[in-house]
Amino acid sequence: MNPRAITGRIAAWAVNVPIAFTALRTNLMRSILTTIGIMIGVLSVILAVAVGEGAKLSVSQSINTLGSNMALVFPFPDTDGARNTADSGRVTMRDAIAIQKSVPGVFDIAPQLTANLQMSVAGRNASTSGLGITPGYGRVSNVDTELGRFISEADIQTAARAIVLGPTVARKLFAGFDPVGQDVRVNKVPFTVVGVLESKGSSFGRDNDDLALIPITTARQRFATATLQGPDDLHVLFVGFDEGIDLGPAKKEMTRVLRERNRVQEGQINPFTIRTTQEFMEESGKVTAILQMLLVAIASISLLVGGIGIMNIMLVSVTERTREIGLRMALGAKGSDIRNQFLVEAAVLCVIGGLMGLIFAALISSAVQKYADFSAPVGVGTAIFAILFSATIGLIFGGYPAIRASRLSPIDALRSE
Amino acid sequence: MQIPVNEPALVETNGLVKDYFIGGEVLHAVNGVSLSIARGEFVAIMGTSGSGKSTFMNLVGCLDVPTAGTLKLDGADTRTLDSNALADIRNRKIGFVFQQFNLLNRTTALDNVAVPLIYAGLGSRERRERARETLTAMGLENRLDHTPAKLSGGQQQRVAIARALVTKPLMLLADEPTGALDTQTSEDIMGIFQQLNDQGITVILVTHEPDIAEYAQRRILFRDGRVVEDVPVTKRRAAG
Repeated sequence: MNPRAITGRIAAWAVNVPIAFTALRTNLMRSILTTIGIMIGVLSVILAVAVGEGAKLSVSQSINTLGSNMALVFPFPDTDGARNTADSGRVTMRDAIAIQKSVPGVFDIAPQLTANLQMSVAGRNASTSGLGITPGYGRVSNVDTELGRFISEADIQTAARAIVLGPTVARKLFAGFDPVGQDVRVNKVPFTVVGVLESKGSSFGRDNDDLALIPITTARQRFATATLQGPDDLHVLFVGFDEGIDLGPAKKEMTRVLRERNRVQEGQINPFTIRTTQEFMEESGKVTAILQMLLVAIASISLLVGGIGIMNIMLVSVTERTREIGLRMALGAKGSDIRNQFLVEAAVLCVIGGLMGLIFAALISSAVQKYADFSAPVGVGTAIFAILFSATIGLIFGGYPAIRASRLSPIDALRSE
Repeated sequence: MQIPVNEPALVETNGLVKDYFIGGEVLHAVNGVSLSIARGEFVAIMGTSGSGKSTFMNLVGCLDVPTAGTLKLDGADTRTLDSNALADIRNRKIGFVFQQFNLLNRTTALDNVAVPLIYAGLGSRERRERARETLTAMGLENRLDHTPAKLSGGQQQRVAIARALVTKPLMLLADEPTGALDTQTSEDIMGIFQQLNDQGITVILVTHEPDIAEYAQRRILFRDGRVVEDVPVTKRRAAG
């Protein structure tokens, strides 16, 4: 088609826009109500998309609070979900050092022991999950102190009774006072608070600040649990990788090193489990994509209802204006001209509804962002999608009435009252 | 009116039939009409209500399709044409004038007259230009932006005539064009038809009023779907 023909086509469609506005103004109340139906439909679809986007965002944020590019090694056998407690697994400090030495791209390791800590100071109590760590934890998990200092190498050497509190724990025990240098009893053992962590907020309602850190050696000496099989066993090992390292091959290499060290035979399962942040991202990406699709599917029902409203009103409009259709045919309108006229009318209704829905969605989204601990962003892509989607709804649901109008016989239409 | 030998008639029907089925019975609204109308004629089609005159005009105007027989318009056999081609004929060759004017409400005189040009595929500037010219020729240059509600009956019918003329058709089909007008206004409107006819446009007028028919050159009388009389008008009236 040459450019002239294309502009001609566009002009032929554009002619219908003022006709549509005249017709819609004639029945203003009806047009507004129909538009509201579409508006609600588009609004709910956009919000569903936005909530899905927000969920993706907060999942990736919460994975980022772990540390961006890292692998987690757990001391239980990797049975792909079907965990058999009979074969117990192990991860040891020596494994950690071996990984650090021979796997390329590792910038630091964070071996950890975990313990529930009951803390009290001057009659105030707090219970939290404690981590026995090395200074590497700060670098791998990308955390630092807000007040005081972090667990140091010297603390590890001396198995010092030093503790770094998460902000939530600090608030519970010290209620706003500076805890650094204060004594606190941890599982009845006196400790000294050496620092308070900076806040990491919360993700999915889980408080990232409700924890306390102690030297790994201290944890082993004082709070070691029965689950450990040897003197250098770990509850979990974080391995931090340099930015840009692909964790797929890195995981393979770690697996190879650990299998060799544990003398695992060909065909036997790993007595350890390695998960990477990359895998978390991919898996949660799948979950949030399903969640988003589900939300959009539910929201689409209201758009469907809006679309049926369009069809209903267009059928009424065609019936009311049968005489006008007949007149236009007498003046030379082809069936396709009449069809296009009513299609444009339906599309105009839908696009106005879509624009209004988009505006309301943007307002609600920014309000949520401002007042709630969750973001539901409405992007440009979503906006374009919404407009095209609502125009499509108009064409689909306006299609049947428009085709019906186009098939009227000129004389029957002209004679109708 | 003398018909030149080689020029085909503008309208030529042969055994034209239109049947309606009402309550299981066949009504022959038009029952075998054969006649021809040449270019430049001014024909009045008369008859009582139910005589088939309006049905005949709807067939000639390609608004309705015949049950049997042939209809040739400007040499083209309408039976061979699809609905798009018929729409094209209505648009380019025929101008309709209705008893109730049939103007679009809430639409200005100018935009009403421009409607057929939309379907002729003209651009908006040209549509407005041609509509303005045609309305000016009808003496309505001061009423371009008036909606039908603000115009008198005679002015509305002149807008409708302008709309019929705007595509420069070969013929005007007017169905009781003065039926909703008073005597003086009717006379004015008939004067316009006579002027247009003098300029060479074929006018086919359906009326049941004998004095309106006297403005035409030829009178065709319908009764029960058949032509019962086809005569020249002897004492032709001239308007104004």
